[in-house]
Amino acid sequence: MQNNEEHVVDGEAESASSAPQPEFSDWAYYADEDTMKQPNEIPASESEKIPFVGDKEPLSALAAEYQSGSPILLEKIKLLGEKFAAIRRTRGDGNCFFRSFMFSYLEHILETQDKAEVDRITANVEECRRTLQGLGYIDFTFEDFFALFLEQLESVLQGHETSISHDDLLQRSRDPSVSDYVVMFFRFVTTGEIRKRSEFFEPFIMGLASSTVEQFCKSSVEPMGEESDHVHITALSDALGVPIRVVYLDRSSCDNGGVNVNHHDFVPSSGDSSGSSSSSSSKTTEPFIVLLYRPGHYDILYPK
Amino acid sequence: MQTSRARLFKEYKEVQREKGADPDIQLVCDDSNIFKWTALIKGPSDTPFEGGVFQLAFAIPEQYPLQPPQVRFLTKIFHPNVHFKTGEICLDILKNAWSPAWTLQSVCRAIIALMAHPEPDSPLNCDSGNLLRSGDIRGYQSMARMYTRLAAMPKKG
Repeated sequence: MQNNEEHVVDGEAESASSAPQPEFSDWAYYADEDTMKQPNEIPASESEKIPFVGDKEPLSALAAEYQSGSPILLEKIKLLGEKFAAIRRTRGDGNCFFRSFMFSYLEHILETQDKAEVDRITANVEECRRTLQGLGYIDFTFEDFFALFLEQLESVLQGHETSISHDDLLQRSRDPSVSDYVVMFFRFVTTGEIRKRSEFFEPFIMGLASSTVEQFCKSSVEPMGEESDHVHITALSDALGVPIRVVYLDRSSCDNGGVNVNHHDFVPSSGDSSGSSSSSSSKTTEPFIVLLYRPGHYDILYPK
Repeated sequence: MQTSRARLFKEYKEVQREKGADPDIQLVCDDSNIFKWTALIKGPSDTPFEGGVFQLAFAIPEQYPLQPPQVRFLTKIFHPNVHFKTGEICLDILKNAWSPAWTLQSVCRAIIALMAHPEPDSPLNCDSGNLLRSGDIRGYQSMARMYTRLAAMPKKG
């Protein structure tokens, strides 16, 4: 890139030979570190305008965003309004799926005080720990992240010295020293599940840039800021045994011209190696975690 | 800060416990500052770095292990992905592919692997990268071996 620009400069200098030579001898001024940082910093400053986890907003806030946008989207948002009351935005920093899941799950436990669910997921977390150990991960690399999640789980249950309020939960979700650690916990859980069932996940991963399941996990699951797709959601849902509904808001419409809003339920597979998560109406309970997907981003939705 | 210190202390204990388990790596924590480490790594065999011992400096950020350690060569090395003057290393796991699953020890292993498998298409040392990219393997190896002898081997006599 630098070379191209130098050529342009040369050309200009030749065509106007009387003009003083532009001072481009100071390319060294742009150190490698600067050029490497730049692409990362632009989206970062953009995304820091909103907190990791935003305030609850009425669904009309979503419509306002698209006021002069595609009519299909506006139609879909109207349909969303029939079923959903509110939206909570998350920061678009590549961790939005995990962050949305974190807040949505902990908020659910805080509101329902469902101790049976806490016991159930705690058992799954222990299983995830054994999975990572079995895969050869060193305990000290992940144990702090596990401990912090279990701590949050305990503190949303009321009646302890360490119990927290809904406001506290929101504050913690915005505090990197808690929020990023819980996101990283989910990344460990997800990577463990994908690698444990690599034969199952392999066909979904092979179409992507990575050449092996392990490489996919190293480059697209474990590093913070790497975006999530179907593979991550399936793995997290299966590993923790928590169903997730994803509602899609995009410009697609049906063949007959009608507009409806699609969703996909990620239902945890019961067996370790068998079956996949797919839309299933056989489950009577609806997922309590509902996320709104717009291409490249997840937010939290609240049903009416 | 507290969590990074606790994590580093665990790594320190692991390094003490596993001392000698990997004869190619010797990781040492600064006496007074757990955020400063140095490492001595052996140049991998069948490379122009064989026989050399290279010193690395680690500066660990407060957000460790969410943020990667900063690592650079203190020993001069002629390698496409190491800055010839500053010793800065171009390696994905030290930048955007970092994750807390890495440790200081496994970072050293990754750097040894990079010494054996240079990536000439993302060079920090263009002279070195160009030799490899133009297919002048002999030229690259003799330059790299010369600097290994000059900078990374004990002086004889």
